[in-house]
Amino acid sequence: MRAVKLNGLMFMLGLFAVWELVAQAELINPLVVPPLSKILKIFFELLWSGQIPAQIVVSMKRALLGYFLAAAVFIPLGILMGLYQPVYRVCEVVVEMLRPVPPPVVIPVAMLFFGLGDEMKIFVIFFSCAWPILLNTIDGVRNLDWVLLNTARTFGLSPGKICWQVILPACSPQIITGLRVSLPIMLILVVISEMVGSTDGIGYFILDSQRRFRVAQMYAGMLSLAILGYALNQIFNLLHRRLLAWHWGMMTKME
Amino acid sequence: MNPVSKFNWPGWLAFSVLLLLWETASRALPGLRVYIPPISQILASLGQLLLSGAITNHLTVSLVRFVEGYLLAAAIAVSLGIILGYFHYLHSLLEMLIELLRPMPSVAIIPVAILTLGLGDSMIVAVTVYACLWPILINTIDGVRNIERTLVDTGRTFGLSAGRILWQIILPGASPYIVTGLRIGLSIALILVTTAEMVAGSKGLGFFILDEERSMNSSNMYAGIILVALLGYMLNRGFVLLERKTMKWRHGMIARGAR
Repeated sequence: MRAVKLNGLMFMLGLFAVWELVAQAELINPLVVPPLSKILKIFFELLWSGQIPAQIVVSMKRALLGYFLAAAVFIPLGILMGLYQPVYRVCEVVVEMLRPVPPPVVIPVAMLFFGLGDEMKIFVIFFSCAWPILLNTIDGVRNLDWVLLNTARTFGLSPGKICWQVILPACSPQIITGLRVSLPIMLILVVISEMVGSTDGIGYFILDSQRRFRVAQMYAGMLSLAILGYALNQIFNLLHRRLLAWHWGMMTKME
Repeated sequence: MNPVSKFNWPGWLAFSVLLLLWETASRALPGLRVYIPPISQILASLGQLLLSGAITNHLTVSLVRFVEGYLLAAAIAVSLGIILGYFHYLHSLLEMLIELLRPMPSVAIIPVAILTLGLGDSMIVAVTVYACLWPILINTIDGVRNIERTLVDTGRTFGLSAGRILWQIILPGASPYIVTGLRIGLSIALILVTTAEMVAGSKGLGFFILDEERSMNSSNMYAGIILVALLGYMLNRGFVLLERKTMKWRHGMIARGAR
């Protein structure tokens, strides 16, 4: 396994070396592909000067607000729709009508209502993260072991307690799946909405760098976005393992 | 679970009530009308735009970009995925590079594409190809890797040529995974086409919708959104129908296995 990793690393480093050499020799237009060393230099400069971190903080604030708002609204709704068939039937058509709308198309609507401010991006992220969270929660509740629910009822637990101590834990693996699927969607949508209508944020930063022909700066922005995407995923996994330790334990025991 | 053959009366009733509420509220409050014109007015705009051909032009432009980008991505990703899934050494070389590129949101590639390809069709198609590539590629690699080795070995023992092993064993064996990748790619392609048209376009549905918003022509904007949603819905339905037809053998297999 380790040898395989080494292989890939060597290949990648070789590719980077070729990139550097080709760019240094100006075999391709340096305006399109600057040398890697220059990109890295600018990346670290922008990192230390705080320019890139500031843009990322702005973007993440919007992204996480929309994301948590979607979770706060659509996990409860999903539980209701999963538990009560009439609620599901009433909401089904509206959901099915809204779901095929590609999320970026919502941006103009949000711009109409909220202008170019933060609310516009938050709404767009809220809308696009909604569907994976909602549908996975419904699935989770539907696949609930009914013995669990009936046992809780027999012991006279209040509905609130049943919800918190039986339904939520039992469905959490599925809910987590929905949240995980929404994570990259959140990142994509914050970048798109900042490209289409914004004056700050990492998406705007990248597009603006391109428009000013600061190409190395543009690549540096993309690099920071890749790192951000990777880091978000890692943090999510870490939280998952911490908060749902019992679930991880169960999965390993079952194997 | 019972089959969903019954018509969902309460659902459609709730939907119609919502539409009715929308219509009356927007007619009653002139302040709201700018943001949410009555649904009847939106539908009238949609009909007018379709009849006059003002929107069909944008629709075909977007559709052509979509089809080109999607098919190109599928062709590249499936063939590359089969190669990488089959030859472990090649996969080990490229694995790290793939893992490095994958976490970056694919839309971030748009500025690079503008820089190298300008603002034309080729830029939008290239961006679509790039974004669609990942789910199809990853799923194809997984699919080829999960084929039972004995199947391939049996084929070899019977002296099948490499081409026949590819067509008659590897492709069918990996097809469930490939289909999953293709399905995910479908919605991504539509997202990327509309996004690229919004960021840098002078044609296409994405451009149309944003442009109508900027000129405060909200009923045209909503008409465009309805059209895009319809397009997404129909593409998805078409895919499912096609999948059922071509993958019939597999549904049969699953049913048999379940019994």
